[in-house]
Amino acid sequence: MEKTRSIDFSKLTLCDALDLATIVEEEAKERYGEFAHQMEIHHNPDAAGFFKFMLKIEALHEGRLADRRRQLFGDAPRKVRREMIFDIEAPEYDEVRANMTHRQALETALNAEKKAFAFFDEAAKHVKDSEVQALFVELREEEIEHAGLVEKEISKLPPDSPTDVDDEEEPVAH
Amino acid sequence: MTSLPTFQAKDFKSDLKPIWCPGCGDFGVVQAIYRALAGIGRAPHDIAFVSGIGCSSRIPGYTTAYGFNSVHGRALPIAQGIKMAKPDLLVLVAGGDGDGFSIGGGHVAHAIRRNLDITYIVMDNQIYGLTKGQLSPTSPRGLKTVTSEYGSLEEPVNPLLYVLAYGANFVAQGTPADMAGLADVIEQAIRFPGFSFVNVQSPCVTFGQEEQQVKAHRANMKSLPSLEHDPTNRLAAMDLAQQYGRSLHTGVFYKNPDPPPTLDAQVRERQHNLEGKAIPRERILDMFVQK
Amino acid sequence: MDDLVIGMAGSGGDGIVSAGESLIAAAAYEGYHALMTKSFGSQVRGGESSCRVRLSTHRVHNPGGALDVAVALNWDDFLKFGAELPVSGDTVVIYDSKSGVAPNALPLVGVSPKEVFAVPIGDMAKAATGSDKAKNTVVLGLIAGWFDIARESILRGFRKKFAKKGEEMVKANEKAFALGEEFARAHPLERTRKFDRPESNQGNKLLLDGNDMCAAASIFSGCEFFGGYPITPSTEIMQFYTREVWKYGGAVMQAEDEIAGIGAALGASFAGKKAMTATSGPGLSLKTEIMGLASIAELPLVIVDVQRGGPSTGLPTKPEQSDLFAAAFSGHGDVLRPVLAPTSVADTFEVTVESFNIAEKYQTPVLLLSDQEIAQRKETVDPIDTSRFVIENRKLPTATDLQDYSRFKMTEDNVSPLSHPGIPGGNYQGAGIEHNTKGNPTASGKIHQQMNEKRFNKLNPLKARRELFKLEGNADAPLALVAWGSIAGVCREAFIRAKAEGLDVKLLVPWLLYPIAEEVYRDFFASVKAGFFVELSHQAQLHKIVRMYVDLPKGITAFCRGGANPIQSGEVVAELRKASLALQSPAQTVASED
Repeated sequence: MEKTRSIDFSKLTLCDALDLATIVEEEAKERYGEFAHQMEIHHNPDAAGFFKFMLKIEALHEGRLADRRRQLFGDAPRKVRREMIFDIEAPEYDEVRANMTHRQALETALNAEKKAFAFFDEAAKHVKDSEVQALFVELREEEIEHAGLVEKEISKLPPDSPTDVDDEEEPVAH
Repeated sequence: MTSLPTFQAKDFKSDLKPIWCPGCGDFGVVQAIYRALAGIGRAPHDIAFVSGIGCSSRIPGYTTAYGFNSVHGRALPIAQGIKMAKPDLLVLVAGGDGDGFSIGGGHVAHAIRRNLDITYIVMDNQIYGLTKGQLSPTSPRGLKTVTSEYGSLEEPVNPLLYVLAYGANFVAQGTPADMAGLADVIEQAIRFPGFSFVNVQSPCVTFGQEEQQVKAHRANMKSLPSLEHDPTNRLAAMDLAQQYGRSLHTGVFYKNPDPPPTLDAQVRERQHNLEGKAIPRERILDMFVQK
Repeated sequence: MDDLVIGMAGSGGDGIVSAGESLIAAAAYEGYHALMTKSFGSQVRGGESSCRVRLSTHRVHNPGGALDVAVALNWDDFLKFGAELPVSGDTVVIYDSKSGVAPNALPLVGVSPKEVFAVPIGDMAKAATGSDKAKNTVVLGLIAGWFDIARESILRGFRKKFAKKGEEMVKANEKAFALGEEFARAHPLERTRKFDRPESNQGNKLLLDGNDMCAAASIFSGCEFFGGYPITPSTEIMQFYTREVWKYGGAVMQAEDEIAGIGAALGASFAGKKAMTATSGPGLSLKTEIMGLASIAELPLVIVDVQRGGPSTGLPTKPEQSDLFAAAFSGHGDVLRPVLAPTSVADTFEVTVESFNIAEKYQTPVLLLSDQEIAQRKETVDPIDTSRFVIENRKLPTATDLQDYSRFKMTEDNVSPLSHPGIPGGNYQGAGIEHNTKGNPTASGKIHQQMNEKRFNKLNPLKARRELFKLEGNADAPLALVAWGSIAGVCREAFIRAKAEGLDVKLLVPWLLYPIAEEVYRDFFASVKAGFFVELSHQAQLHKIVRMYVDLPKGITAFCRGGANPIQSGEVVAELRKASLALQSPAQTVASED
C-alpha cells in the first residue's frame, strides 16, 4: 500500500495491526512535537501551542492502543516497525510554515485526520483477518470523530485576515 | 516480515533539533536517511557523515553518526580521505547544490572517477538558502533573486547529466513528496558498491518558488519505473536527465549492472600484495645506504 | 686537500647530472661527506643542465662558494648558470676544446683563471665508445686523474650502472674513463692537489635528498596517508609514497588539486590515521582554508612546504625562505600553528619525526618548512640510529571518557581525548564552526574566549623546548648569527671560519620557528651587541617575527636577499668582521676628517 514499505496487509495479525495503529499514532505524536518546536523557535506561539495540544492527543491515542496490545499480547516482539510507514497520520513536513495562523495549524491537523481515515479505510479492504478488519474499521470511525472535532474548532475561529496570511517580516523571494 | 534488525530509525536521530524553516524539504530528507540507515544496519559509530556549508550541510549533526560539518565545497575530498584511511567505515556525504556544484564542482568529477564506496546526497533547491536567497548553479535562467535583480543570465548546471556524463555508476533522484521512494533510493545508493549519487529535490520554503514546493512535486513527479525506464541503460538515463528543470523524475536513473571494482577494494588488494615488501619502519633508511 | 667543489655544465643530453650522480655515489661509498645540487634550464627535456658536487673528508653544511673545478662541456650552457657556478682565479677550468675557444680567451667576465685545460672531451669519448655520449665518463676520468678521488668506486659504479647494457658497454666506458685519466696524468696540475682519504668506513653512509628523507621519516613516524598534488619542488615526497606507503597498509591520493589533497589528508586524520600533505608556496596559499579548519577542529596534520622563490609562480626551481609569514600566519582568524624547519638532509629526519609528534600530541596542524635546496640536493648522511626516537600518538578517549564523551573537554593541558569513527560511544560532530566542549555550535563570546585560550595555551610547552634550538659558540659572545633552513648550513660554515679567525661569535639555529620561544631568544641576545639574522628572503621574515615578541639589541640587523642569489659563507664572515671591528672601535666606521 502507498505510504508503507514491506507490509503485507493480507498477512497482518491482530497483534501486528495493533502495533501498526500504535506506531501510526507514535509517528503523529512525534511529528506534532517537531512542529511545536519549529513553531517555538520561529516565534509562532499560537501554532506552537496548538501543536503541543495535538501532541498530547496523539500520545493519548498511542497509549490506549499500546495498553490494549499489552493486555492481549504482552511483550511479544513487534514485527511492524516505524521504518515501514511514512506520514500516515503524521502531517507532512511541508504542511507547516513559520508564519502559519492558528486556523492554518488546525487545518493541518484536519488534513492529517482525513489522511488517517483514508488509510484505515483502504487498509480494511486488504486484510484477511476479521479481527484486524474490525479494528481498522473501528480506527477509521475514530478518525471521522477526530476530524469532526477539529472541524468544529475551526468553525469557531474567525476567518484569517489578509494581513494574517501575508508576512512582511519574512524575507521574500523575488 | 523479516526478523528484527539491530537498529531502528530512531537510533540514528540525534537529540539536536533542526532549526530549518518550517516546511523545509530537508526535514523529509533526514527522515528518509534515518530509515535508510536502519535498513542498512551499520552502527552509528561506524558511520562518518561529511558535509560542507549550507542548510542541508547541517544534516550530519541531526544524526548520531560521527559527523564532520567541514568547509564550503570540500566535503567530497575530506570524505574520500576518511574512506581511504578506514575503508570499513560507511561514509556518507551531504550538501546543497551550491556546495556541490558551485564551489565544490571541481571535486565531483574526481570523486566519481575515483569510485570509492561512498554515497553523496545533494539537496538541490536551486537557491542559496542559508545566506538568504542568492542564485545557485542550478537556478533556472531568468530567475530573479537577490543576486539577479533583473533575472539570471546564466544557464543552470544539470547535476544529473553532469554525474552521468562523468561515469557515476549509481544515479538517482528523489523528493520528500514521496518519502517511501526517497528512503528507498537512499538505501539503494548506500548499498551500491562504489560512488553513488542521489539528487534530492528538496525545496527551500523561504526563498524557493511556490511552484517548486513539495505540493507541486507531488503533482508533477513522474517515477522512472512508470516511464518504463531501464536503469541499466546510461544513454537512456542521460536522455531523461536532459529534462532536468522541466520534469521531476524520481527513482533510479542509472545503476550499473556490472559495477567496476571500488577504489577501496583495489587499494586493499594492492596493500595485501605489497605487504611482504615492507622494510620495517625503523630500518626504512636502509634503502638509501650506498653499498 | 680536504674540500673540493666541482661544478659542471652542459646540454641536456651530455649526461652532466649523471656524472655528478656517479661521482657522489662513489664518494659516499668510500666514506666521504658529499653534497650535490642540480640546476636546469626551463625546458622540460634536453635543455642546459648543471650540477655542483662538494666533496670533503669532514661534514659539509652547504654547497660551497666559488668552484675549485669548473667543467664546461660548452660555454653557452655554462654561462647560463651564472652565479650558481662562480669561477675564481683559483678555479681549475676544464672545457671541451671542440668549442673552439682559446684557453686565454674564455668568455668569463672579470676573471682569468690560472689553470685552464682545453680537452678534446668529445673526441676522446668517440674514440673510446664510438659516440660522444660518454663525454661525462671522460670528465670523471679527468677528475679522478687530477685529484685522485674515488677511482675504484667510480669504476665499480660503472659496472653496476652499465651491467644491464652488456659487457661491451662497461668496457667502453672504462676505456673512456682511462682516456680521461691519461690526459690528466699527461697534463698535471701546477700544484698537485690530491684529495685526502676519508676517515670512516666504506659502505655505510646514506645518500639521499631532503624530499626522500622527509618521506621516509614520515613513514617511520607512522604516517599512513598522504594527500597531495604535484608541485615543484615537493613532488618527490608524493612519489615516494606512491612507491612505498601501500606496503605499510597505508594509502596515497594524488588529488585533483591542492585543496583536495589537504582535504583528503584531514579526512584521514579525522578517521584516526596520521596523515600529511606536501606542497610549495602556491599550494600553501590554496591550502590555507583547510589549515584553519584543522586548527579549530583540533586535528593532527603535517603540512610540508618546500619553499621556492615567490610570490605566486615566482621561481619554481630556486630556494627561498619567504614562506615563513604564510606558514605562521596564513588564514583568517586567531590561529596559532607550530612551524618547524630542518637545516639539512640529515636533520630533516628528526625534524619530520618531531613535526608528527607535535601534531599528534597537541592535535594541531604543523607546518614543516623545507626549501628547494635541502629538498632536491643529494647529501651523504651518517647512519641514523632510529631507536633513539620516541613516537607520540594522539590521546585517545578512555572508557570513562566514552561514558559521556566531550570532544573538546577542558583538561589541565588543554588537550582533549580525541575520538574517531569506529570507536563506540565516541561519536561527535567535527566542524569548522566555533563550538562548546561537546562540539555543539556556539556563538557565545565567553565560550569563544575559552576555546581560543585552549587552542593557544595548549602549545605553550613548545616555547620551553630548548632542544629545538641548536646553539654553538660561547654563551656570552657579543657577536651573533641567527639562521634557519638551508641558510643555517651557510652560517655554520661562517661560524667555523669566523671562530678560526678569532671572532667571538655565537650561532643560534632554530628548528622551531613559531610560536616564538621568547625566553630562548632573550637569553641568547642578552650578551649580544651586534649580529645578523641571515635569511634568503627579501624581508628577512624570521627577524621580523621575532621582533613582534622580543626586543632585540640595536646592533642586530638582517642580512638578507631573495632567492636565486645564493648567500655564501664568505660574505657572512666578511659581515661579521665588519661588525667585530665596529664593536671594538665604533668611531672607525665613521670616515675620518683628518
